[in-house]
Amino acid sequence: MQELLKDLIVRARAELSVIAERPAFESAKARLVGPNGELTAMMKRMGSVAKEERPALGKLINEAKQQVQALLDGALERIVAAEMAAQLGPQVDATLPAPDAGPGTFHPLTQIREEMCRILRKVGFAVADGPEVETEYYCFDALSTPVDHPARDPQDTFYFPEGLQFANIAKRNPGERYLLRTHTSSVQIRTMLQGQPPIRIVSPGRVYRRDTADATHSANFHQLECLYVDRNVTVRDLKALLDYVFASLLGKETKIRFRPHYFGYTEPSFEVDASALHLPKVNKEWMEIGGCGMVDPEVFAAVGYDPAVWTGYAFGMGLERLAMNLYGIDDIRYFYQNDARFLKQFA
Amino acid sequence: MKISLNWLKDYVTLDAPVEEVCRAVTFLGFEVEQVIRTGAPRLEQVVVGEVLARDKHPNADKLSVCQVDIGPAGGVKTIVCGAQNYKVGDRVPVALPGAVLPGDFVIKRSKIRGHESDGMMCSAKELGVAEDADGLLILASRPDLGTPINQVLPSGDVILDIEITPNRPDCLSHLGIARELAAWFKQELVYPQEKFRGVPTAPARPDLLNSVKVAASGDCPFYTAHVITGVRIAPSPAWLQDRLRAVGLRPINNIVDVGNYVMLETGQPLHAFDARRLAGAEIHVRLAAAGESITTLDGKERKLGEDMLVIADARQPVVIAGIMGGVASGVADDTTDLVLECAVFRRQAVRSTSKRLGLASDSSYRYERGVDPHGTLEAAWRAIDLILETAGGEVAGPGWTVGGDVPWAREIILTPAFVRERLGFEIPDAVMKASLELLELAVIREEPTLDRGPAWTVSIPSWRDDLDRPIDLVEEVLRLYGTEKIPSVTPVAPGLVVEDAPVAIFNRKVTEYLVGQDFHECLNYTLRSDREVKAWSDPGVATPGALANPFVEDQSNLRSSLIPGLLETLKLNQSRGVNLGRLCETGRVFLESEGRLSECVAVAFIIAENSGDRTWLRRSAPDFYSAKHVIEVLSAAAGVNLAKEFRTMNPVAAPCWQAGHAASVGRLDRGWIAQFGLLDLGVVRAAGVEGKVYGGQFLILPERLASRESRPRYSDFSLFPPALRDLALVMDEARPAGEVRSLILVAARAAAAGSLAVEDVHVFDVYRGAGVPEGKKSLAYSIVFRAADRTLTDDEVNGVFNRIQEKIAEDSGLQIRK
Repeated sequence: MQELLKDLIVRARAELSVIAERPAFESAKARLVGPNGELTAMMKRMGSVAKEERPALGKLINEAKQQVQALLDGALERIVAAEMAAQLGPQVDATLPAPDAGPGTFHPLTQIREEMCRILRKVGFAVADGPEVETEYYCFDALSTPVDHPARDPQDTFYFPEGLQFANIAKRNPGERYLLRTHTSSVQIRTMLQGQPPIRIVSPGRVYRRDTADATHSANFHQLECLYVDRNVTVRDLKALLDYVFASLLGKETKIRFRPHYFGYTEPSFEVDASALHLPKVNKEWMEIGGCGMVDPEVFAAVGYDPAVWTGYAFGMGLERLAMNLYGIDDIRYFYQNDARFLKQFA
Repeated sequence: MKISLNWLKDYVTLDAPVEEVCRAVTFLGFEVEQVIRTGAPRLEQVVVGEVLARDKHPNADKLSVCQVDIGPAGGVKTIVCGAQNYKVGDRVPVALPGAVLPGDFVIKRSKIRGHESDGMMCSAKELGVAEDADGLLILASRPDLGTPINQVLPSGDVILDIEITPNRPDCLSHLGIARELAAWFKQELVYPQEKFRGVPTAPARPDLLNSVKVAASGDCPFYTAHVITGVRIAPSPAWLQDRLRAVGLRPINNIVDVGNYVMLETGQPLHAFDARRLAGAEIHVRLAAAGESITTLDGKERKLGEDMLVIADARQPVVIAGIMGGVASGVADDTTDLVLECAVFRRQAVRSTSKRLGLASDSSYRYERGVDPHGTLEAAWRAIDLILETAGGEVAGPGWTVGGDVPWAREIILTPAFVRERLGFEIPDAVMKASLELLELAVIREEPTLDRGPAWTVSIPSWRDDLDRPIDLVEEVLRLYGTEKIPSVTPVAPGLVVEDAPVAIFNRKVTEYLVGQDFHECLNYTLRSDREVKAWSDPGVATPGALANPFVEDQSNLRSSLIPGLLETLKLNQSRGVNLGRLCETGRVFLESEGRLSECVAVAFIIAENSGDRTWLRRSAPDFYSAKHVIEVLSAAAGVNLAKEFRTMNPVAAPCWQAGHAASVGRLDRGWIAQFGLLDLGVVRAAGVEGKVYGGQFLILPERLASRESRPRYSDFSLFPPALRDLALVMDEARPAGEVRSLILVAARAAAAGSLAVEDVHVFDVYRGAGVPEGKKSLAYSIVFRAADRTLTDDEVNGVFNRIQEKIAEDSGLQIRK
C-alpha cells in the first residue's frame, strides 16, 4: 500500500506538471481525488487491512492526500495565471491617442450665463424664466414705455400678424399684439404679477431686435437682468450688489462706477462701467457693462404693488457684449456660427 | 449733439481742464462719445523764434545745427533740427526746455548725436494744430520774436460729441448744457439778453402778412411769426460761420445761419420764409389735404398724407411743420422781406410725420423730444436781434402769436428724509438744497412735518418737463452730489425660499449631460426661413410662426425644430474642414397645433456618422439606438419616462426624418414630444452634409416642467437571488417588440399573482434566419423573478412560467419557440 501511494504521488507530479489547460486538469483531478478516483479507492480498501495497521496506513493516506492536493493547487495556479495572461493580448502603446472625440464643450454664452447665475445665487437671487414671444403689455405697457416710443416701432421690434394665436401665452388686453421680446424685463413683470415681494430674481434669456446683422448686432442676442423688490431698498444696496457681482466675475480689484442715465422703467437710472485696465484684451480704463436703476414707482403701480411700501432695484446687461469683452471676441456672429475651433477655445 | 466749449463759455465760466469738463458732462448723465480738438492747445514755453544760422551737424547728414533768436528775453539758442523745409531768416515756433507738447512730450536740454540742443523747432503736428505736417511750421506773418505761440496760432476749441438722453430735450442746446455745467461747477449762468422784446421798429406790413390762422391747434399749441423787412442776404460774419462749422453745420447765409444758431443755442427751431412768396400774405397751420405735395429744401418732392401738419399759404403747403421747409417759400439770395416763424408743434405729430416721410432734421429731432413753449418767444426775439445785427432790416409791426397760453406751474413736495431713504446714505439738507437750486429748481417753501423733518416745495422750471415726482428730484440731488461718491458696502442678502425656474434647471441638467457625453453645445438663430420651417413641420401645418415684419427673408419664421440649425452647423464645419460629430442645443421652438402656436422648451442633438475624424482604432458606428438612448435620458430630465411609452412606435410625420428609421413619441396635447432616429438621407444630402446623421429632439411645454416634486421614498429590495426564464417567440416582422413585451409583462404579473415579483422583462435576442419562416422574426425575452422573503424554488418558478406560456399561446400571432 505504501508503495502504491508513493507511486501515485510520483505519477501525479509527473502528470500535473505538464497539464496546461483546465479540462485536462479537471479530469486529472477527478482521477486522483474524485469520488471515483484512486485515492478514494485506496481509502475504501482500508476495511481489508488489519485493525492494528489502520492508524498508520490512515496517516499515510492522509499525507499522500495532502501532497496530491498541493500538487493540484500548484497546477491550478499555473493554469489561472496562463489564462489571465491570455486575456491581455499584446502590450499597449500608451502614446497612441484615444480614438474617441471629445470632450464636449459648453457654449461660451452658456458659461457666462451660468457663472453670472452662480454669483447671483450666492446673494439670494433665483433664476426666473418667461416666454420669448410676449405681448405688448408685458414688454412695454407695464414698463411704462410711451405708446409712441421708438422701441415699440415695427422698425425695431418683431411683431406677429393679428390672426396668429399662441396657445400658452395669454394676452392681458384683448387688442394687444404678440411680439418677440426686446428685453428680459418682461420676466420681471410676470414674476411681480405672479407673486408678492420680497422678490429677488435673475432672468437670463434670449431677446430680439430688428437690426441689421453685423459684427456687433444680431437679430437675437442674450440679456441677463436682476430684480430685487423689498422694503427700504436703496441706491447704496444696488451699488453694493454690482460691486460684489463684478468683483466676483472680473477679479477682486475690479471697481464699478455709476453714470446717471435714463431708462423708462427706473428712476434714478445709471449706466454701469467696470474698471477694465487689469483685464487682458480690454484696452480701456472703463468698460460699459450694463444699465441699472431703482424701479420706477409707475412700474410698481402697474403690477399692483404699493410704491409707498415697496422699493427695488433692477440691473440688466448683454451677455454677448460681456463675453466679447472678456474673451476678446470681435464679431458677435461667431457665437452663432458654432465653428468647433471657436467652441473649443472656451472649454 | 456736438457742443463747442468756446460757445459754452458765452454763458458760463469754464476754467477747468477739458478732462474735468468731460468728467462733469459724464457724471451729469450725458455720455461723451467723442472729444474733438480744433486749433492750438494751451502751450507754455513755446515762443516765436528766427533762424539766424543753419549748419550741418558734424555727426549726422540729415540734421542741422541752428542758431535761433527767441527775442531779448531768451537770447539766441542752439537747436539741432531734422527738418528740411526752412531757411535762414524764417520765423518758426520754438519749444524751450520745460515745454510740454501734445502727447505729453516734454522738451529737455539734450545732446543729439553728440551736439547740445536747447529746445526744439516745431511742426504744426507737434503743436497739435494739424493732423499732419511736412516740416516746420513757418510763421509767414513774422510775429515778434519771443511772442508766446498761443498769441500767434488760431485759438483752439474743443468739441464734445454728447449723447443726450431722450428725457432731456432741454439739453439739445448749448444753453442747456451750460446750465448743467454751471450747476456742476457752481458757476453763474449768463443768459443772452434780447434787445428786441416785442416792440416793432417799423409799421406793420399787411401786404406781407395779414393773417395767421391755426386750424390744428392740438398739433400746434403755440405759433409766432414776425415780419422783418429790408434785410440783405449775405454770408454770415466769421464768428457765426466759425461757430456753426465747429459743431458740424455748413454756413448758408446770414438768415439761415441765425436760425440754426438760435436753435443750437436755445433748442428752439425756427424757420424763415421769403415774405413775397407767401401767397395771399397768409399763414395757415393746418393738416395737409388729400393729394397735396411739397418739394422740400433737399430737392425731393414729397406726397403729404391727410393727417400731416403743414404750414400753408393761401394756396399750398410751404413747410412740413417742424420738419423741413419747401423750396418755393425759402429764403433766396434776393430776399428782402422775411416772415420768421418760431412755434411749438406736438411731439407725436412731428414724430409720426417724420417717420412716415422718412424725413428727419435737426428741427424735427428737437420737436420730437419736446420744445419748451415758454422759451419760444425769447428765442424768436434772440433770432431777431441777430438778424438785425447780421442782415440789417426792421421789425415791421408787432409779432403774430396764436395760442401759447399753456400754463406752467409745477411744484413738487420733497422731504430730505425721502431722499436719504431712497439713496441709503447721508447727504446733508443744505447740500441737497444747494444742488437743487444750482439746477434752478428753487425751494420756494419749507414747512416742518410731524416726524420727517422739513418738507420742501420745489418749483420746477418749464424746461424740465421730465421732473414730476419726488423720486425724480432724488436723481437730481444725486447727479449733482456725484454718483462716484455712492459708498461701497458689502451686499446684504436675505434668504428667500425660492428655487430656480424649472426651465432653467432642465436646460442646465440636459446640457450638462450632453456635454458630458462629448457633445458640443451650439446656439443657432431662432428665426429661420419659411421654406425650412415648413420642411421640418408636420405636413398640413400652414405657414407656422411667420412674423408680420421680418427684417430679412431667410429669417422670417419662428423655428419649429432645433435640428436644422445643428445640421447647418455641421455643414459649416464640414465645409471648413473642421471635424465635428456630436452637437447639441437647448432653446425655444414653436409648434403649431389646431391652428395655434405653442412656445416649447426644447433640447436637441445630432450624431454624425462621418465626424471627419480618421482614427487608428474604429469604434462601432452610431445607429438608431444611440439616438434612442440619449433621448431617453433627456426625457427623464423632464420627468418623462420614455421606456413606459414604447408599446408602439409612431413614425415621424415630418418628412425630414427617414421613414422607417425614426420615431416619434408623445403629443403636444400631452405636453411633450420626442422625435429621434435617422435624419432623412435626401434632406441631409441636400443640406450639403456628408454621411448619415442621427438626431433627436425632446420638447415640452414650459408649464409642464414642474418644480422639484416631493423627494422619492425609499422602497425595500430583496436580498434573495433571482430566478430567470427565457421565452423565445416567433412573430410577424412588423410586430413591435415593445408591444409583445407588455403582453408578457401583464401575463407574468397575472401568473405570479403576488406570490413572487416579476422584476424585469427584456429582449435579449432578435433572430431572423434558419428555423424562422420568411417575414417573421424571433424575439427572445428574459423574465426575471424574485421573492422578497425567500430563495425561489424551481417548482414554483416553473409553475408561473407555464402559466405565462399558456397565456401567451392564446395570442395567435405569437408562436413559442421551444
